[in-house]
Amino acid sequence: MSKILQSLPMTIVAGIVLTVIMVFATNKLENMNQSGAEKVISDMIN
Amino acid sequence: MEDFILFIVRYLHVLCGVMWIGILWYFNFVQIPSMPKIPDEQKPAISKVIAPEALFWFRWGAAGTVLFGMILAYMNGYIHEALTLQKPDIGFGMWMGLIMAFNVWFIIWPAQKIALGIVEADADAKPAAGRRAMLFSRTNTLLSIPMLFSMISAQNATGF
Repeated sequence: MSKILQSLPMTIVAGIVLTVIMVFATNKLENMNQSGAEKVISDMIN
Repeated sequence: MEDFILFIVRYLHVLCGVMWIGILWYFNFVQIPSMPKIPDEQKPAISKVIAPEALFWFRWGAAGTVLFGMILAYMNGYIHEALTLQKPDIGFGMWMGLIMAFNVWFIIWPAQKIALGIVEADADAKPAAGRRAMLFSRTNTLLSIPMLFSMISAQNATGF
């Protein structure tokens, strides 16, 4: 980890990778948190 | 009236956030990479004048961002949902911001005080403290990318 942090370009790449992971985790958690009716509407919209 | 107060709090949150992340990126994109290129006799201009001044605005920018961010989340009624990740779009950003502010106040600032000679310390402690400050500053730079994405997408990328 400290090797990544010593390099600024690697730090930026790691930040972008973490952003992508966070987007997937956000979608997963939002789906889990939705009630049945909300999920049906959300699926119809998306 | 409440909408106006909400707007002012949001404005102050963003104002402090720009101050904080702007100086964080100054440290990581400008100051740290430039230090090896500066002649030794000129280095005190950075370590004795510019860095302590930048660190003052950096840490109080962090404190202001968290303070106004928490007030904003409370006034909007989602502070509990966000912190428990029932509202993960803004929740992840809030947690990353909190971790980053903790790093600023409890790791980077104490380490910088040693590294810059603001407090008395052994000569051996200075390089170790400087390295610790740099690594946690880089950690914050890493976290700033998803944190800002979360903050902005929660409000602007609806249906994302």
